[in-house]
Amino acid sequence: MAHDIRDLADEEVMQLVQRGDPQAFELLYDRHGGAAYSLAYRIVGKQATAEDVVQEALLSIWRSRRRYDPTRGSVRTWILGIVHNRAIDGLRRSSVHERRRETLDVVEERFEASERTDVEVARREEARSVRGALETLPTEQRQTIELAYFGGFTQNQIAELMDEPVGTVKGRMRLGLDKMRRQLVGGVA
Amino acid sequence: MTDHTRYRDDVGAYLLGALNELERQAFERHLSGCSDCQEELARLRPAAEALPGSVVQLAPPPGLKTRLMAEVHGDASAEGERDGAVRRRRGLFGGLRVPRMAYVAAALLLGLVIGFGVAQLGGDDSRSVAVTVAKAMPEAGGTLQISGNDATLRLHGMPELSAARVYQVWIQHGDRMVPARTFEVGSNGRGDVDLPSVDDAQGVYVTREARGGAQVPSENPIVSVPL
Repeated sequence: MAHDIRDLADEEVMQLVQRGDPQAFELLYDRHGGAAYSLAYRIVGKQATAEDVVQEALLSIWRSRRRYDPTRGSVRTWILGIVHNRAIDGLRRSSVHERRRETLDVVEERFEASERTDVEVARREEARSVRGALETLPTEQRQTIELAYFGGFTQNQIAELMDEPVGTVKGRMRLGLDKMRRQLVGGVA
Repeated sequence: MTDHTRYRDDVGAYLLGALNELERQAFERHLSGCSDCQEELARLRPAAEALPGSVVQLAPPPGLKTRLMAEVHGDASAEGERDGAVRRRRGLFGGLRVPRMAYVAAALLLGLVIGFGVAQLGGDDSRSVAVTVAKAMPEAGGTLQISGNDATLRLHGMPELSAARVYQVWIQHGDRMVPARTFEVGSNGRGDVDLPSVDDAQGVYVTREARGGAQVPSENPIVSVPL
């Protein structure tokens, strides 16, 4: 009986993608397209722009699929990293004021995807857990991390926006990530 | 101040993409020889990599997958048939008469080429044909999606034109180039153009024309879809 590729792990599916199999690529989209779109929407704040970002990012992934190196991280991390970079590139073309406002705004829950599968339920749980870890940070650490990661601001720009020395901003990023890491490890234990 | 002291606090900013290009390059040079920073990076990386998972999970619009996979299938067909591409193109265009063939030849000279292929999208009469674009537009691409009597040209990566100019679609019937719709693209470079039936057409082409459109193409096609 033929092997069902839906039973394969991402890394195995990626091997098929690297050989040019569109069906395998479609499976990766089914698994990670929602997370990719959600991340792009969180960064750019507009549905049409988020769609463009995801389409361009995933097409570039398909076209550069031979460059995927499993020793450097999971397929999901690789995909979301490329989507993140594309979204930030687009965002950096918009005004600083608009970017700051959108980065610190919270996406309304009413747009959330309905929970249809176990995987989607797990993703929602993961999102709640990581958001919970972020929310335990002191406000200035959380905002610094959000401005950097979701807003695409450099540490010098953040220092200017928050009217703080660059050294303080660097420290907030490192300490904030460290605290998040401990929260996440604690959550799993 | 030692090198390590100077760079130690950059680990978080590096993981969050908050270093500018020069800072990033300097940090990576330091990182390659500093085991302490490598350890710190490895320790904090899981937190940075968890951030994409923190966002509210949304359902992507259904059309996104359709458009993406149409392009992927187009690419896959092009790759699979690349070796025979030149011969096949000659075969496809061999039946066209001068002077219209000149447009196609010029497009190929200009163009060679991004994407050429046909993918079945499902259904007996549904198909998607990847476009060929001019070399001068390396970011551009797209598909002609044909379903029964309906056809839609979906382009992306198209340069935004000045206010005085528009893109115009031409449909080739025998040796005639029939003017079809004009369209514009915004800053996102996307253009979706619904077309009349291309059942009996030999190709669909795009040129840049003065606003209002033209009756005869004023330049060689910058987008070509031989059918």
